[in-house]
Amino acid sequence: MTRKYLLRGGALVAGLSLALTGCGTVGETSPTPGQSTDGASSGDVVMVTVVKAQTIPWFQRMEQGVKAFAERTGIDARQEGADDVSPEKQVQIVQDLIAQKPTAITVVPNSPEALESVLTQAREQGIIVVSHEATGIKNVDVDIEAFDNVAYGSDIMKNLGECTGGKGEYVQFVGGLTAKTHMEWVGAAYDYQQEKFPEMKRVETPIESTDDQDTAYQRAKELLAKYPNLAAFQGSAGNDVPGIARAVQEAGLEDKVCVMGTSIPSVANQYLADGSIDKIFFWDPALAGEAQLQIAKILHEGGKIAAGTDLGIEGYNDLQPMEGFDNVFVGAAQVAADAEAAKQFDF
Amino acid sequence: MPSLRRLQGRNNEGTLLLVLIGLCVIMSLLNPVFFSINTAFSIMRSTTVPLILALAVLLVIISGGIDVSFPVVAIASAYTSVTLMLNFDFDYGVPVVFLMSACIGAVLGLINGVVIARFRLPTLIVTLATQGIFFGAMLTYVGSRYHPDLPPSMSRLSTVNVVNVVTSNGKAYLHVLVLLAVVVALLVWGLLKWTMFGRSLYAIGGDYEGARRAGFRVVRTQVLTYVLVGVIASLAGVAHIVMSRSANPQDLVGGELDIIAAVVLGGASIFGGRGSVLGTVLGVLLIQVINNSLLLVGVPGAWLRAAVGILLIVGIGIQTVSARRKARRVHSVEDAATPAGKEA
Amino acid sequence: MTTNVEFGASVDAAPPVLSVHGLAKRFGGVVALRDVSLELRPGEVHCLAGENGSGKSTLIKIISGAEFPDGGQIVVDGESRERMDTTSAIETGIQVIYQDFSLFPNLTVAENIVLTSAVAQRHKFHNARRARAQAKEIVEELQLDLDLDADVGNLSVANRQLTAICRAMISRARVIIMDEPTTALTHAEVTNLFVLVDKLRDRGVALLFVSHKLNEVLRISQRVTIMRSGAVVTAGPVEDFDIKSITKFMTGLDIDDVRTLPELSPEAEVRLEVVGLTLPGAFWDVNFQVRKGEILGITGLLGSGRTEIAESLFGIVPAERGTVRVDGESVAIGSIRDAVSAGIGYVPEDRLTQGLFLEKSIADNIVASSLSEHRTKWRVLDRRRIRATIDELFQKLHIQAPNAKAAVRTLSGGNAQRVVLAKWLATNPKILILNGPTVGVDVGSKAQILDLLREQARRGMAVIVISDDEPELVACCHRVLVVTKGRVSGELAGDDVSVETIQQSMAV
Repeated sequence: MTRKYLLRGGALVAGLSLALTGCGTVGETSPTPGQSTDGASSGDVVMVTVVKAQTIPWFQRMEQGVKAFAERTGIDARQEGADDVSPEKQVQIVQDLIAQKPTAITVVPNSPEALESVLTQAREQGIIVVSHEATGIKNVDVDIEAFDNVAYGSDIMKNLGECTGGKGEYVQFVGGLTAKTHMEWVGAAYDYQQEKFPEMKRVETPIESTDDQDTAYQRAKELLAKYPNLAAFQGSAGNDVPGIARAVQEAGLEDKVCVMGTSIPSVANQYLADGSIDKIFFWDPALAGEAQLQIAKILHEGGKIAAGTDLGIEGYNDLQPMEGFDNVFVGAAQVAADAEAAKQFDF
Repeated sequence: MPSLRRLQGRNNEGTLLLVLIGLCVIMSLLNPVFFSINTAFSIMRSTTVPLILALAVLLVIISGGIDVSFPVVAIASAYTSVTLMLNFDFDYGVPVVFLMSACIGAVLGLINGVVIARFRLPTLIVTLATQGIFFGAMLTYVGSRYHPDLPPSMSRLSTVNVVNVVTSNGKAYLHVLVLLAVVVALLVWGLLKWTMFGRSLYAIGGDYEGARRAGFRVVRTQVLTYVLVGVIASLAGVAHIVMSRSANPQDLVGGELDIIAAVVLGGASIFGGRGSVLGTVLGVLLIQVINNSLLLVGVPGAWLRAAVGILLIVGIGIQTVSARRKARRVHSVEDAATPAGKEA
Repeated sequence: MTTNVEFGASVDAAPPVLSVHGLAKRFGGVVALRDVSLELRPGEVHCLAGENGSGKSTLIKIISGAEFPDGGQIVVDGESRERMDTTSAIETGIQVIYQDFSLFPNLTVAENIVLTSAVAQRHKFHNARRARAQAKEIVEELQLDLDLDADVGNLSVANRQLTAICRAMISRARVIIMDEPTTALTHAEVTNLFVLVDKLRDRGVALLFVSHKLNEVLRISQRVTIMRSGAVVTAGPVEDFDIKSITKFMTGLDIDDVRTLPELSPEAEVRLEVVGLTLPGAFWDVNFQVRKGEILGITGLLGSGRTEIAESLFGIVPAERGTVRVDGESVAIGSIRDAVSAGIGYVPEDRLTQGLFLEKSIADNIVASSLSEHRTKWRVLDRRRIRATIDELFQKLHIQAPNAKAAVRTLSGGNAQRVVLAKWLATNPKILILNGPTVGVDVGSKAQILDLLREQARRGMAVIVISDDEPELVACCHRVLVVTKGRVSGELAGDDVSVETIQQSMAV
């Protein structure tokens, strides 16, 4: 089991599965040419985004946001990352960056713990540090999350309830019972359902898929046999809904059973098309990347991030501090996409 | 007594069968839904890929080695084939996919075999290393992209069923690739029973040095074994991709210990020289029944993993204890017989 | 004309199937063989005798093609060649039955018999039914009682040997070389084997016996070749030799295999007392005493319970009922630990698998069981004392190895046996139980090991020797207990102990 997670776990993107991997250039990207040297508008401001791995489509999408930011502001912003998901390599990259003294480093950590000490070094050098998907990390100026877990979970249930007409039995899947975010999502969804859709009934405690499509498929088949009237599935890990969808499809229940949950368009498209998945939920990494840099820019210019700050980026117009943390802010950047909407995304 | 012992089988297959039947009876009592064609088909379907992989491992284990690289070989060869087909946009039908993967699998197996047999390195270490190498090489040179859409011939096969019945609880399908598992099982059975190659595997697993002295071509046999493992594993890889209707390079990897556990459960000795196709089939089936029916019979989701673990220990425990009993019985019978024979 | 002369020389001078002339072999700087010649004639049993390291194994390896000679010739059917390789050796009909038989424990008797010849004939397919029929044919032809479907791993040593012989015969063997064929066999089994050997001889097979058991050698063979230090010292018809002369040729010394007992004073205290020891299924109501300085022999057929008695005294398979007293104090032996702390040491029968860490050095093995006796008052290991113990025992037991750092795996049987002995002597036990202490050990080493036992007894140790080698029991035991079907059926003491009396009481 551990090995499985070692090999796979790295690519987990806050619950989005590794299945979302893709090919692409291997190795670190070189600094984007042709932008910094003349120092036209923003002078020597350099910002670098360090991601989990450059090879994952999710982060290739994020790089588009970084480029968009650079273009919009004229700041020399670029993205770096190793060719695989490795905390050590990430530490090494940040260490090398400190020597170059950029204005800001924004980072999506593979392991917040492993990064703590280098990030401390960076801040001691006066470098602004912004992180993403690292709730609880200490040595950063600001950590930005795309959305509030409670809001996200409730949102999925809201859609699911509308799909079933507020009635019927349903089950929830999580990647692992120890995956904190997944449990928060399904917990919030469950609370929302009890309040808003009293006629719906959760028939099992959350089912573990181990973020494996086959397991999700098997469990879904068993559940369909056990509960012939099952009306809805909620998935959490990226592999949950595709697996569930295969079972639903095989049973010919595309129109009867609602399947919704976290996934990304490239994986879910074929199932969205035939209705075996009804809606998928995610956030756009390009916007998240841009938001990180925007925060760094505000801090560099002497501004502050507080409740209500508007980054001027869709979904990040009204940042709110996360309860229990002093440096974490959340946006409302979750995207719900049905078949039509999902086609517009290329990751 | 002798007939009873024959029923028990050389590797305790009989005991295992009893455990399996007992488990099915208990499950049916707990939830009558279990006792249905749907469940049977579903279990057979989920048995397909693990069984083919287990048959591959069986060969290595009988020969006294161990292979942990086979899941990577399986997925790497199948994923590479699919990627090539998608990138260069060709599709000559499913047989060609299998053939292509088999070739890649054979090459990867050959690498394992040559390193192990030529340099006489421990099989576990070698395959642990090649597992990493193959996996890394695939991610680097072939790609790490998840292909949600398969080449047309493969995605057509995804939905082909040999049996298609409507039952009281909906439709029940039996996927066509279940036949592949049956064919591979028969081939491996025949290979082990009817060919000198099969017998040399047992001989080498029983006594490596003895086999060498007896004139078996040990090196050749070993290399061939790993090639064969590569080929069989690659078939499992293709079957997996077809059945999951998508090609994910991260699939299967990490499942090697579950498969090896199934083979050992099936009576194969981890020290080599013992094991049978029948036992392996039963071992894999038992694990799949456990894996795929607990939720159905009402084990809460949070307990699934623990329950699988407990049942596995019980299963292997029964297996081992009865194997030990058997060994002891043979021994005492002989001790009693020896002096008598001498007086004669 | 010439042929006439050759054939006419004597009746048994049929042309040799195989002969070697002037073989030489070196390993690095060490001369393993020097000008060795040997002839094997059809229908004869030829004994090759020699101490450990005399070159016997090297000679066998060259004949069977496992090693190539540096000089000399190998003549097969009158055709001379410089070397033999494994395949052509098998094709010529040369079969070696090694001490471990090289059988496959996981396969059935039938498969073991047939597989090797199938491999030699390059068969591609295997037909279980036909194979069984072939095996059955040869087993019936040799009138053996073998269960063809039994796993070889479950067979007795004797039956494994028979399986190995059948395997050799099915490959149309003309020369069968047997390495120490009788060491692990009981009397009855040896007799059975010799009956079979006679049958093989009648079929014109030439047998080369490598053996340490000189009385057996004299019983079965027609001709004897004796080697010492890589050279043939003498060869000739068996009538020209007796045990004493063979021993002398082998060792270059006069060794008396006569009864030499350490003094035992009549009032020596009882060291070990066993009362009513019972392990159902193995032995019942066993009673005996061993006094300080006494050597007690326990003998019996294989499976009579003699080994089980020893194993239960050492806590390997504890007895269910009965009392064991050491120096008058009752001790409960439920585990090996209990036995060791009561002062009991045990040298097992199968020394290679039970007694030693093969990959470890001689030194490590010697102190493996006595580390707790080599601690300082701070309870850390006392390296100096460990070193002293190792040096002392290494010297005293004449372990033949470059130094104590050599891995035990590299040692010959006799030397490995001495390491086991050293290991137990290092614990300084009150009672030492030895199971087959000289199995597979050559004459010279045997005498030394027996001397060692006598010396330990003289120092007050109680020694129990479990053995079915009567001369060995006669040579060193004050008393001999005979075990039959799990019960002590007889006791011989003093002048009553002789090879004949032991054999008689065992036969009852």
